[in-house]
Amino acid sequence: MNEPSATQESRRRLQNALAHRGGALPLDFDGTAVSGVHVSCVAGLRRHYGLEPRPVAVHEPYQMLGRIDEDLKQVLGIDVEGVYPPRTMFGFANADWKEWRMPDGLVVLVPGDFRTTTDAEGNTYIYPEGDLSVPPSAKMPAGGCFFDSIIRQEPIEEENLNPGDNLEEFQPISEEDLAYFRQAARDAVRTGRGVIANFGGTALGDIALVPAPFLKHPKGIRDVAEWYMATRSRTDFVHRIFDRQCEIVLGNLSRIHAEVGDAVDAVFLCGTDFGTQNSSFCSVDSFRGLYMPYYRRINDWIHGNTAWKTFKHTCGSVDRLLPSLIESGFDIFNPVQCSAARMDPEHLVSAYGRDLVFWGGCVDTQKTLPFGTPEQVREEVLRRCEILSKSGGLVFNSIHNLQARTPVGNIVAMLEAFREFNR
Amino acid sequence: MVDTAKLYDAVLNGDHKTSAAITDAAIAENLDPQEMVTKFMIPAMDEVGRRFENEEYFVPELLLAARAMKASLDKLRPLLAARGAEPTGKVVIGTVKGDLHDIGKNLVSAMLEGGGFEITDLGADVTPEKFVAAVEKTGATLVCLSALLTVTMPAMKTTIEAFVKAGLRERIKIIIGGAPVTQQFADDIGADAYGASASSAVAIARKLVAA
Repeated sequence: MNEPSATQESRRRLQNALAHRGGALPLDFDGTAVSGVHVSCVAGLRRHYGLEPRPVAVHEPYQMLGRIDEDLKQVLGIDVEGVYPPRTMFGFANADWKEWRMPDGLVVLVPGDFRTTTDAEGNTYIYPEGDLSVPPSAKMPAGGCFFDSIIRQEPIEEENLNPGDNLEEFQPISEEDLAYFRQAARDAVRTGRGVIANFGGTALGDIALVPAPFLKHPKGIRDVAEWYMATRSRTDFVHRIFDRQCEIVLGNLSRIHAEVGDAVDAVFLCGTDFGTQNSSFCSVDSFRGLYMPYYRRINDWIHGNTAWKTFKHTCGSVDRLLPSLIESGFDIFNPVQCSAARMDPEHLVSAYGRDLVFWGGCVDTQKTLPFGTPEQVREEVLRRCEILSKSGGLVFNSIHNLQARTPVGNIVAMLEAFREFNR
Repeated sequence: MVDTAKLYDAVLNGDHKTSAAITDAAIAENLDPQEMVTKFMIPAMDEVGRRFENEEYFVPELLLAARAMKASLDKLRPLLAARGAEPTGKVVIGTVKGDLHDIGKNLVSAMLEGGGFEITDLGADVTPEKFVAAVEKTGATLVCLSALLTVTMPAMKTTIEAFVKAGLRERIKIIIGGAPVTQQFADDIGADAYGASASSAVAIARKLVAA
C-alpha cells in the first residue's frame, strides 16, 4: 500500500460540508457500505488509470464491494476514509485474504473465511462465519454479481415470540472490538481524510440485517415479509427489541467514543430503507410511533456527548418522512434518491437543505450511470452538483453504490464532471 | 349463521385468523364460494389497492391483507375448482434470471390473486425456459416479469425473446415491473405494459385480459 497523503485538506472539505459551510465538494467512494463500488468497477478503474495490476479485495462481500486501495484513492482524489465494522455481513473478519473467481471470471481477493459451495446450476452459496457445517446464509445466482440472503425462518409460535431472539446480534462490545476500532480510527485519521465510521448495532430493523446472514442459527423473526408485517401487527414485540437494542448501543457508543474520540467526523447509524420507488414503506405516524423515539435516543446521546454527525441511509421516496428524520436528530441523509417520486433535488434543497447534509444524489445509478452516455452522465452530475450544493452541505457520491457492469467510461465521466464542478 | 360480510373487513384489516374462521364457517354452511370471492374478497383487495395507491396503506398493510386473503382463498380454492369456476385470467409471474429479490413480485402476485386471477408464481431467479414452460403448461395469457437490479433488467428482454422463439409471444401479454424499470424500458424491449406498483398491476392486467 502507498503512503497516505498527509494533507488535511480532505478532512477540512468534509467538515465544511458537514457544517453546511460549502466550498469545494468532498468526494466519497467506499466510505460506507452504501456509498461504495462493486468490485468489478474498482478493477475497471484500476485498469483505466494504469495502476498496478492486482486482484481487488472484496471487503463487503454481501454486495461484493471492492476496497479502494490508497493508490486508487489518490488518483480519484477521495476525501473520505471509512471505518468498517470488525466483521462482514457473513460474520467473519476481513483477514487472511485469498483469491476467488467471480462467476464472470474476474479474480478478486476475499477473506479467508469466505467459504462457498456451488450447485449443479452454478449458484454460489456462502456460509455464516465460513462454517460449512451449517446451512448457507446467502446465495449468488449463477452468473450473478451480488449475494442475497437465504431466509432461514424457524416456525413462528406467536405466543412464544421472544424479543431476545432478535437481539442475538446486539451485544455489549468486546475488548477485542474496542481495540479494533481504536486502531482503525487512528489509521483512518492518519490519512488526512474525513472519517466516517460504522460501529454497528445502531440500525433499527434494517431489512438487509433482519435475516442475519452473519448468524449460524438465527432465531426470532428473520423472514422479510414477517418482519414487515410485525411492524404493524406486533408493534409491542418490535418496541421491546428496539428498546433493548438502544440500551446496548448507547453503552457501546460510550465505550467506543472513549477510544476513538473526535478522530471520527461522522457515524453511519442506520441503513433501514423507508422508501420505495413511488412511496414510503410506512406512514408518517408509524415512523414517529415505532422508530423515532429510538432514533432520538441514539442521536441525542451522540450529539450530547460527541462531535460526530449522524448518517441516515434510506432509499426511495421519503419526502414525507424527512421532517421526522430531521426531528429524530439525523444530520446526514443518503443516498438522496432523486429518481424516486417527490424527490426532486430542488425541492429537497429548499425544504431540507438547512437541516440535512446530502451525502449522495449526484448521479442516478438506475438509469444514467449504467445505461446513459458519458455526456449524459456529465450533464447530470453538473446539474445535480449545482442544485444540491446550494445547501452548503453536499458530499459527492452517486445514488447508492456503483453497481456491477456500470461502464467504466461512465464512472470516469462522473469523476471528471465532479472535478469540473469543483474547479 | 356466519356473517360473510365480515370477510371484507377481515381482509381489509389484515386479520388472517378471522378470515380463516369465517371461511371455515361458510364452508360448513355450504355457502357459495364464488360469491365469497366476488362479493367480499375481490372488493376488499381492490380497496386495499386503492388505499395503497393513496398512501393510506403501505407494504406492511398490503402483506397483512394478502395473508388474510390467502388464508381464506386457500380453503376456497378446491371448492372453486370443483365447481369449475373460471378465474379472471391466468398469470405466470416471477423475478427474472439472476435476480433473487421477490418482495415486489410477491406483492404483485398477491394483488393479482386477490383480483381474481389464477397465479402460477415461479419465484425468483427464473430462467426464460421456465417461464416458457409454465405458460405452455398452464395456458396463461398474462406473464409478469420483475427485476430489482439494473444488471438483471436485460434478462427481461431475454425472457421476451424466449417467448418469441417458442412461438408463444402472440398468445400472451407481458407486464414488467421493478424499481429500476420504466415505461421507456418496457417499450424498448417489447413488453406490453409497465406496472409502476402492485395495485396498478391489477388494473393493467384486467385491461389486458379484456382487450
